[in-house]
This record gives sequence, structure tokens and C-alpha cells, in this order.
Amino acid sequence: MTTTIPATTTAAAVPVGAGLSMFDPVFIGIDEFGQPVYLDVVYHNLLAAGEPGGGKSGLVNNICGHGVLCDNTRLVLFDAKLVELGPWRDLADAFVGPDIDYGIDTLRRLLVVATNRYTWLLANRRRKLGPDDGMTVILTVIDELAMYSTVLGSKAQQEEFSTLLRGLVSLGRACGMPVVAATQRPSWDIIPASLRDLFGYRAAFRCTSLNSSNIILGQGWAEQGYTASDIAPTNQGAAYLLAEGGMPRRIKAAYLTDTDIYNIADYAAWTRTPTRTTGLPDMGLAA
Amino acid sequence: MSKSSPRRRFGGKSTGTVTVIEARVHRSSARNAKVAFVLTAIIVGGLAAVVATSYLHPIVALLLGGLIGVTTGAFVWLLVRVWPVIRLLWWWSTEILLAVVLLTGWVQLANHTSTLVTLVVVAVLVGVPAGIPKLRRLVIAWSWCLIVRHRLRVCFAQFIIASQSGSLPLILWATPTPVGERVWVYLRPGLSAKDLEGRLDKIAVTCHASTVLIERASEGNAAYVRFDIKRREVLNARVNSPLVDVIDPSAPASASPLTVPTALDLPDVEVPTVTLPTQAKPAGKKSAPTTTANGSKPAASSADADDDVSDWI
Repeated sequence: MTTTIPATTTAAAVPVGAGLSMFDPVFIGIDEFGQPVYLDVVYHNLLAAGEPGGGKSGLVNNICGHGVLCDNTRLVLFDAKLVELGPWRDLADAFVGPDIDYGIDTLRRLLVVATNRYTWLLANRRRKLGPDDGMTVILTVIDELAMYSTVLGSKAQQEEFSTLLRGLVSLGRACGMPVVAATQRPSWDIIPASLRDLFGYRAAFRCTSLNSSNIILGQGWAEQGYTASDIAPTNQGAAYLLAEGGMPRRIKAAYLTDTDIYNIADYAAWTRTPTRTTGLPDMGLAA
Repeated sequence: MSKSSPRRRFGGKSTGTVTVIEARVHRSSARNAKVAFVLTAIIVGGLAAVVATSYLHPIVALLLGGLIGVTTGAFVWLLVRVWPVIRLLWWWSTEILLAVVLLTGWVQLANHTSTLVTLVVVAVLVGVPAGIPKLRRLVIAWSWCLIVRHRLRVCFAQFIIASQSGSLPLILWATPTPVGERVWVYLRPGLSAKDLEGRLDKIAVTCHASTVLIERASEGNAAYVRFDIKRREVLNARVNSPLVDVIDPSAPASASPLTVPTALDLPDVEVPTVTLPTQAKPAGKKSAPTTTANGSKPAASSADADDDVSDWI
């Protein structure tokens, strides 16, 4: 007993893309001085955390939105909840739903690509991928990381997922394969500390306690006054961002409405028509 | 400024002296002044005598050197002695200057124009900044900068114990920020940014602020710090993404066919058919239990489904 939503037709003419690159700074919001906040996502891994409804998905969608409008960029999406990253599913080379087996396979593929890219870099006497190399940037975005590391699958699968992800996070940085992950509370029982500490950029959305904020940003920041527990529950999208500069900055993540997200996704699909992979990958969705 | 004697606080006869400088600072100043006098007198006097011997008889040169030394020493003594007052004047210099300018301006205006013109000029000078929101906010923001420097000094003087001599950190300039003010401070020996971190809540209270943050203002000098005083939340409004501007919203909708389950309510899903998406058994768990909690043997075919449900409850 299923209904099928048919795919809509595509237009004959295809416009030129937005002309963005993943090597461009990614706009994610503004800071307290009203200045725009940009992140250099390609060479850094970002961990966004905070309580539900804090605005993590807003930040993640900003990065996805930038990613899909970029030339030479592939997306690999993990979203057990389906709806947060679902709008980008047709633009992603792999969209992993609540299926940890598929997630593990995807991570293995990514690791093989990463290893091959390093061999290529070695052969070309290089240590880091640059914008002029013509290589695609493979952006891996994981929403609700805890679902894969604690809920779905068996203990062994969860550990394997965490281990593979740790490999990708540690390897991906210099070969154009950054990882953006979001979760509610990245404590050691949810995500291994060894994995958490590999994320260079941290965004702490509202937390209920000083301790939770410290877990996200790192020990000691709450004592210095940088605690995400002082963010008002009604102020969605406000966060402390620990990125360049070494000090956490209070930011407000830009917000994309559902309409904006689907408009961007539609436009990106339109411009990507010649290069995008066709057919919906297996998300592990139960019929 | 309190009266020198606490006994006479309530209407008693005053001796006419008012404590401008605290007793501790006063004593320290007296001692410093004495030391400064002796050192200056000896060094300057000695040097002057040595130079003077080239031109004068040694005894005359010695006398001249002594005279120059004592005179310079007296000058330095006076300077050190009144230094606390000079410092106090320096702290309030902006306010004193503002008051002088305003009062002079008012008196000059009142003397040289008719009452009506005076009132019109004052109304324009006060009304324009008060009426234009941007100007008003600017004036208020800079006024807070003046206030907050004094409040910070109160913090250092009242509850942040610094050096034995009681010297306070140098409170440098302050500038308004969208959330409050930013003040640069040069710490004296005996204090560090770490010491101040534990007192940020008290500093916030003293500055009538919401929160205060402190960070180093210089990579190479730990004494140079910056206070960020925050009195309002500015990140309340929604921030729009510029990505929306680079797309054409009339792009044709693109969505791959999606199979949507129709069992969208609990009664639609029968008990034995629960199959959570690829929810496997946890590894640490033993294989299918031989008996359930009530002791009955479960049906072999439903063991997996039972495990899945219990994981989710």
C-alpha cells in the first residue's frame, strides 16, 4: 500500500551555475558586531552540537546549500531523520538514511577515495589539494551523528561506523573531503572523544549546562564566560563558534526556510543536470 | 568622598577635611615622595656638581650641585606627593572638560543672546540628538563608555586586590560595541587575566552589565587585556542567507520519485510486522532469550521482532 510521488519534468534550457566554489569562504551567519561570519569548510571539519531546536540544522543546511551551488562539489549526506538533509538527496552522490550498513559501505568508499587521493598527491609532489587541481570536493554532512553511533545497528556496527568516520575526519582535511557533523550532545558515551577532538571547528548551540557547553567547545571555556547555556531558548540559531581566532565567537546562523531550501535544491538540480548522478541511491528506506 | 572621621558622619561638627585619597594610598605616597626626594637630590646634585667642577672651584661646584639637587628633589617630591590628586583629575578629565565646555558655552550663550535665542539653541542642541534615534544611540553608547571606565576602576579598587602599594591597573580607552562596550586595560604587577576570570560575574554587576568577558589584547604582552562588556542581546533577528539571492526561484521542481508508506498512524502498523529500518540486535546482547519475563517460551519466529521493540522502548 504505497503511493508514488512522480518526478517532475526538467526544463530544456539549463542556466549557468551560481559560480561558487567550495574553496570560497562559506557564509554561515553574522556575529555580534554585525559582521558576516565565513568558514573555510574545505580545510576544516565542523562539529555542531546543542540541544534539539537550537538551530544546528540551520547551520548544516547553510553549508549544504553552499555545497550544492558549488562547481565541482559532491555531497555525501547522512541523515537518519531524513527530513533535515532530505531536500538535497537528489543532489547528493550518496544519501544515507536510517541504514547503518549502507552508511558503513559509504564511509569505506570515501576512505578508499581519500587514500587514492593522497597517493595522487604524493605522485604529484604535493601535500594538500588546491582549488586549481580540478579535483572535486567531496563534502560529507552528517545530521544526528548519535543515531549512527548509538542507536542504529549493532554495537559492532556502531563502533565500526565511528572508527571509519574517525578515519575520514582525520584523512579528509587535506584531500578535499571535509566532514560536517551535527549531534545533540557529543559526550564520550555518544561519540568517542578521539573522534570529537578531531573536529577543528566547533559550534555550540544552546545547551542546558556549563558542562555540555564545555564538551562541545572544549574544557575551560565555560569558566571563562563562553558558555552556550546563556543562550536564550527562544533564540534559535544563536551559537558560540570556535573557529579562526582561537576564541569562541557568538554568532547567529543564517536561516533558510523550507521554501528557500527547496528553491535552492531545485535550482542546483537544474544547473547540475549535465553532471549529477541519476537515480535515487538506496537510502535503506523501508517500503 | 567620605568625611575623614566616621563619628561626624551624622551632622556632627566637621573639621573641614575631606578624604580625597585613601589612607593607605596617602601613606604610600608620603613614603614614595620622601624616597624620590632623597634619590633625586643625591643623583641630580652629584651629577650637577661633577659637571660644575669643570667650570668652577670644586667647593663652589659642590655647593651649586647641592642647591640644584635639593631644588630638583623638592620638585619631584611635590610631584609624587600630589600624584594621587593628579591621577584623580586624570580619571575625571573627560568629565571635567565636558563640564567646563558646557558651562562656558551656556554662560557665553546666555550673556550674548536673548533668552529666546538661548532657549532655541539649547532646544536644538538637546532635541536633535534626542530626536534622531541613530544620534541618540551614539550619545548613549559613548556615555556608557565614560561610565564603564569608572565602574571598572571601582571594581579594581573595591574587590580586586592588586599590589601592596594599592596602585590600580591603567584603564585605557573604551569604545562602544553593538552589545555594550569594549575597554582596554593595562594590568599592574600582581594581577593576571586568569585572576580576573573568576570575578567576571562581580565585574558584570558593578558595570550594570549582563556579562563580561576578558581576553588578551596582545599576543606578546599578558598585561594588556580587553574587557568585553555585554548589556544587550543583538542576535535576535533572523539572518537571511545570501544564497537565496544567487538562485532563480522559478527553477523547475526537481524531486526523484519517493515511495511514501501509507501506515502513518499507530493502528496502521500491526504488532508482528514491526520492522524498524535495519535495526539489528546489539552485539552485547545475548541471542534470543529462551523464556520471557513471565516464564513462557516465546515463539521462535517473533524473537527478532521482540528484540527490536524492546530496544526502542
